[in-house]
Amino acid sequence: MASTTTTTPAKTDKPRMSQMALQEQRWGRLFVAAPFVGFCLFSAFPIVFAFVASLSNWTGTNSVFANFCGLNNYIELFTDARFWKTVGTTIIYMTGIPIGMILGLLIATAMNRRIPGVKILRTMYYVPVISSLVAVAILWAWVFNYDFGLLNLIIKALTGAKGPNWLGDEAWIKVAMIIFMVWKGLGTSVILYLSGLQNIPRDYYEAATIDGATGWQAFKNITIPLVSPVTFYLLITGIIGGFQVFVEVSVMTTNGGINYSAATVVYYLWDKAFKHQQMGYGAAMAFILAIIIFIVTAINFKGQDKWVKTID
Amino acid sequence: MKSATRFLKRFACLALAAILSLTCLAACGGGEGGGGSGKTKLKVFLYMNDHEKEVYSAMVEKFKEAHADEVSDIEFQITTQSEYATTLTGMMTANDMPDVFYVGPERVKDYVSNGYVANLTPLLSSAGISTDDLPQGILDFYRYDGSNVGSGDLYALPKDASVFAYAYNKDLFDAAGVAYPDPSKPYTYEEFVSVLQQLTKDTNGDGEIDQWGASFADLYMLYQFIWSNDASFTSEDGKAITIDDPKFVDALQKYIDLTLKYQVTPTVEQDTALGPYQRWIAGQTGFYAAGTWDVASFMDPETFPYNWDLCYYPTMSSGKSYTWSGTVGFCVSEASEHKDLALQLISYLSTDPEGQKDLSGMTGNASVQVPNLLSLQDEFKSKVADGSMTYPSNVDVIFNYLNGTGFAQGRMMETTYTPNTEWIDMFWEQLTDVKAGKRDINEFISSIKPEMQASLDKAWANAG
Repeated sequence: MASTTTTTPAKTDKPRMSQMALQEQRWGRLFVAAPFVGFCLFSAFPIVFAFVASLSNWTGTNSVFANFCGLNNYIELFTDARFWKTVGTTIIYMTGIPIGMILGLLIATAMNRRIPGVKILRTMYYVPVISSLVAVAILWAWVFNYDFGLLNLIIKALTGAKGPNWLGDEAWIKVAMIIFMVWKGLGTSVILYLSGLQNIPRDYYEAATIDGATGWQAFKNITIPLVSPVTFYLLITGIIGGFQVFVEVSVMTTNGGINYSAATVVYYLWDKAFKHQQMGYGAAMAFILAIIIFIVTAINFKGQDKWVKTID
Repeated sequence: MKSATRFLKRFACLALAAILSLTCLAACGGGEGGGGSGKTKLKVFLYMNDHEKEVYSAMVEKFKEAHADEVSDIEFQITTQSEYATTLTGMMTANDMPDVFYVGPERVKDYVSNGYVANLTPLLSSAGISTDDLPQGILDFYRYDGSNVGSGDLYALPKDASVFAYAYNKDLFDAAGVAYPDPSKPYTYEEFVSVLQQLTKDTNGDGEIDQWGASFADLYMLYQFIWSNDASFTSEDGKAITIDDPKFVDALQKYIDLTLKYQVTPTVEQDTALGPYQRWIAGQTGFYAAGTWDVASFMDPETFPYNWDLCYYPTMSSGKSYTWSGTVGFCVSEASEHKDLALQLISYLSTDPEGQKDLSGMTGNASVQVPNLLSLQDEFKSKVADGSMTYPSNVDVIFNYLNGTGFAQGRMMETTYTPNTEWIDMFWEQLTDVKAGKRDINEFISSIKPEMQASLDKAWANAG
């Protein structure tokens, strides 16, 4: 019997680390440990816990594990008319995103020139962004007041007719919420578009002028494409924020408005989880919402190559 | 020089890492114990307004002084009513319960069944503390026998007992030349309508009504009509929706008639512009509600510059006037390691005569509740009668509702006995369309009842 001998390739030794490198590595791990522990405790654990809770009839006071109900909450959610109604309302509110972007770009374009008092104007547009959301929502609830609101007083002064019942009508309440949300977010759009506009080299416009382009043609073919990264950013953050609208509804309406006409998904989630002690159901709703946001954001990122242009 | 810099760098890195780690750890858990002195530290978590906080803080300090040999500190954590339930749920989930907290009658069964609240009956017995001077009807809301609230062992001591009494604006009655409501006899529905019609006016002659007989916040003021008509939202066990009972429908119809048929209340549209409470404060309505907690602000001329007094809600077919009562109680955590001391504290907070005098306004402060102690009720009434404290003169209205008489009775809302309120919130949400005349009452009842029943069934199923 012939014996065979095998030769194992020589193991490549890892280069020995110097004492200093080892020490740096240790310190590095220590520094990473703090945020890692923070992430595990305050993000990963709550996510896992919420997922487990979504599979139970947890009320907040009973045991999560003793009330396991499998996928019941998810199944029920898909047939819950009120959930889909709030999804619809949330999407309707998102029509404010393009309105805000168009207004933001127009105002930013108007302010992107040397005119007296432009800095004051820029500050004024940004004030709503840094103001307390609750405070301005209360303020706007009064602006929209049917009998005594500023808006209806203006409408009456201009037309002689009484304005709509902004917060007391199922359709108008949505319009009122969109107006408020556009106003609140306009400052961000203006500032971001302004920075985008200022990054566009002047040469492009000069070249366009020499070629005989009109102002509108330059705006359409230079400005809009070159601020598209800003538009993309505003779209993504707007959609994610739009799916999470809560405070506006909570402050400006009573119990989600007439027939729940102003309630958003997150408001419904809060209602179920905290007002009606259906934490498990609320957690399931949060997961469905997260999946929706993830899908919409992924689609947006996938499609960005087709319309987002950069100067380079 | 170089080694010193290196040492400093190392020290800074170590300190930073330690701070970060400690921050994380500190966020994860609180402290415990009484500093190793052998004394006890109690943690109290409640909600209250500023005046209550002031009074209770002083009481807690006094308790600390009186028990200085046992108590090292009392952590008195106060929040708002809207934040309370959420924070307490968080504490329950984290298994970090305070020694003393609130429980309302609607949560007694839930908290006891899930082991959050200690049984006070044996503790009271071994401590020799009597509850005889507390209204027994209120104590019953904190009794639980393992299946029903209302009987069995005691799980909390009342912080207060309140009622949502009715109030009228004397100035509007005077201006309309209408006699004040009888302080010992409620109006019938017909009498009530007649008075409301006399009070409803266009005061500035612009062709639009700007003063109404009454205004109603549905969530708080429909019950009075339903109950007085011998009807209820649910069966006695809180498991079946009974809104299709003809008596319920009749009461609801009469309530809606005040707005649509008699037009003696603001319309739904007008209510969205200015709520019932605001219209009362603005002197635009003859009647509105006055909870015991509202009295101080209504007595303040800066808030309500009108003369007013208390009266009863109108009676329906039962001939008896009803309103809802409210109470919240101090309880001791089942997880507390210092139950006896915590019991001493809640007994003191619930029954200390000086504290009760302060909270009820007998010492000259703003009144936020009527005294808990039966032995103080007569003194309270006599102080109102001789004018030595600021309170509406028909104070008997409150005590008659609280203690119950032949013609007046306070009772708890049906939601007190159901696991959650979702089933009734559906009703309130859609009632607006009925009140606006957009929906027929019978169609509303027949369409909403199955939805309410399904929600209630689910609530009971989840409650186990």
